Amino acid sequence: MEAVAQKTSAYFDEFGSRQQAGGQWCADLQRQGIEAFERQGFPGPREEAWRKTNLKPVTDTHFRLAEGQGAAPQGLVARLNEVGDCYRLTFVDGRFVADLSDLAGLPNGLTVTPFSEYKAQAPDRLVAALGSRASVDSHPFVALNTAFFVDGAYVHVARSARIEKPVAITHIITADANGQAVYPRLVVEAEEDAEVRIIERFIGDNETTTLVCPVSELSAAAASILDYSRLQQDGSNTINIGTVNLASQRNTSLRGAFVADGAKLARLDLIADLEGEGGEIDCNGIYLTDERQFSDFHTWFNHRVPNCYSRQRFKGILQGRSETVFDGLVKVFEGAQKTDAVQENRNLVLGKRAFAHSNPRLEIFADDVKCTHGSTVGELDEEALFYLRTRGISVESATGMLTLAFAGEIVDMFRVPAVRDHVRDVLMHRLGVADINVGAIL
Amino acid sequence: MALLEIRNLHVSVEGTEVLKGVDLTLDAGKVHAIMGPNGGGKSTLAKVLVGDEAYEITEGEVLYNGEDILELPPEERARMGIFLGFQYPVEIPGVSNTYFLKAAVNAIRKHHGQDEMDAMDFLQLVKERAKRVKLDESLLQRPVNDGFSGGEKKRNEIFHMSVLEPKLCILDETDSGLDIDALRIVSDGVNAMRSEERGFLVITHYQRLLDYIVPDVVHVFVDGRIVKTGDKELAKQLEVEGYAAFEAAAA
Ligand SMILES: Nc1ncnc2c1ncn2[C@@H]1O[C@H](COP(=O)(O)OP(=O)(O)OP(=O)(O)O)[C@@H](O)[C@H]1O
Ligand SMILES: [Mg+2]
Repeated sequence: MEAVAQKTSAYFDEFGSRQQAGGQWCADLQRQGIEAFERQGFPGPREEAWRKTNLKPVTDTHFRLAEGQGAAPQGLVARLNEVGDCYRLTFVDGRFVADLSDLAGLPNGLTVTPFSEYKAQAPDRLVAALGSRASVDSHPFVALNTAFFVDGAYVHVARSARIEKPVAITHIITADANGQAVYPRLVVEAEEDAEVRIIERFIGDNETTTLVCPVSELSAAAASILDYSRLQQDGSNTINIGTVNLASQRNTSLRGAFVADGAKLARLDLIADLEGEGGEIDCNGIYLTDERQFSDFHTWFNHRVPNCYSRQRFKGILQGRSETVFDGLVKVFEGAQKTDAVQENRNLVLGKRAFAHSNPRLEIFADDVKCTHGSTVGELDEEALFYLRTRGISVESATGMLTLAFAGEIVDMFRVPAVRDHVRDVLMHRLGVADINVGAIL
Repeated sequence: MALLEIRNLHVSVEGTEVLKGVDLTLDAGKVHAIMGPNGGGKSTLAKVLVGDEAYEITEGEVLYNGEDILELPPEERARMGIFLGFQYPVEIPGVSNTYFLKAAVNAIRKHHGQDEMDAMDFLQLVKERAKRVKLDESLLQRPVNDGFSGGEKKRNEIFHMSVLEPKLCILDETDSGLDIDALRIVSDGVNAMRSEERGFLVITHYQRLLDYIVPDVVHVFVDGRIVKTGDKELAKQLEVEGYAAFEAAAA
């Protein structure tokens, strides 16, 4: 009798047959990644957290790791400037490109390094941090990323270093990565009393179908200030399924600005852990969808200790036949008294056939807390629209104004001025009001 | 040619006829007042004139400078010079009063083939007009009507009117909710704009407004129709006698 070969996934087989890619220093972790993925597999449609996310475009195909590195076209390279003056780390199809990066004049206390710089060995603190937040057993896409990342960005801010100029990590996807997978990875560590601004950005070719599967782990030590902007502006045929872990300690202020504008299928799982008293995690997000785009934000905000503060304010603007999900959890652990948590999700549905799901959730295991949540799905205010029109303003402009006003509340909250300005531009472009002077109403 | 000519206008909303054959001719340079009991259809008439699509026009015509405007969208009518000061001005959070007005002014200028207004000139105009209606300057930067008091909202409507300089000014109960000082200021704002080329249609419940804005013609509006037209003495008569006689006649 012949032995029946055990059925393994295409990703497992790919892992076995590929060249070692991610450097010797992380070989063990990568192996753990593929094993964890093999145990979990892709999430099925019956798994509660994945019920509304149609993963067929991911599971129907095997996206092999993008082996080459395309040349980034000028149009995409030019966009690197859109977020202003930054220390810049740029990756094309998952691999670091020195020519598009600018790390000149890094101040004392700031380390910004691509993983690929490390071969046999990496700094102990990176080895310790990598995967400590995003565990391979917690999430199949974290496992997949961990198995396959070939490069990444490591940002370390030393104790009491105050870094004013943002650090921008941009991932460019080119046509060469069509049908393939890219696994961006980011580790940010702010030491005690440090301050830093991070921008992580995804842009790419519009015709290209690539699976982008990023994992970002950011941790902020006591009394530090960490500002993180995540701009998902992928090409319109891209799939972006990622996770972000934010962790705050005592008296930390951690702020997140999230924009989801690109990709045909996008999902972000955002896990925020408040681990030190007096810590604060304040996240504002905006998602813009059109045509048949699908965008999904899943959040888990974990208040693990007393006296912490968290905010989640996410707004969606839906055009065309697009569909969005916001599914957010505030969890207050036993003993986490005096928790102050607010979660808000508001959706403006402009497309007649667009659909917004909104699912706020609270799980509270402490009795002295202040937790609120709100959720709305609505259309443009017809009366306001009419009023504006009776003063001579066209339907398009009036719609643009009202929509910008809706979004403005979130955009105003973004702390990095260049990000704020850029997102306003993106909004105006999206809403087709770039030609009229309504930008200043925000 | 009349500035505004309404001929046999019938309007329904949600299947109920609200305007039941309105005829009215307003010449440039004139002020007409419309008075009448609650629910008679005065605001409906005003909103139909500026193109509110909630109302269904079943019969009749509305000519503005001889041109039928009923097929035109609200913004077109506004650019041609038709303005409505709302009975209930709408709050628009997040859109600043000034920038909204600037977009409106420029849309109107564009319609007339004029260049956009210089930002400094615009600011000067806005400040001067705000002063005219004693609108607090802080309200210029605030979102349109957002959190304004009732009186501030009404004053803001007159302020918009004085910046946009329309030809046909329809004021729907702009006097309601104003104290006597505010009433005088608003009336002064209107009177400052009276001219040979401009017409006013002023909807009100109170004779006292007409002490300040003296009308050329007064219409009594009951149950979807104009039931009587006269001069300013008619308003005084209404103040004393009420609408009872007209309501009985209309029923
Ligand atoms: N959008 C609408 N939907 C349904 N009914 C309406 C609408 N607009 C007006 N109506 C109805 O039409 C009638 C006339 O209303 P309108 O507001 O025009 O009266 P009015 O003369 O302005 O009253 P008031 O003096 O109280 O302001 C009322 O019965 C009102 O309920
Ligand atoms: Mg009325």
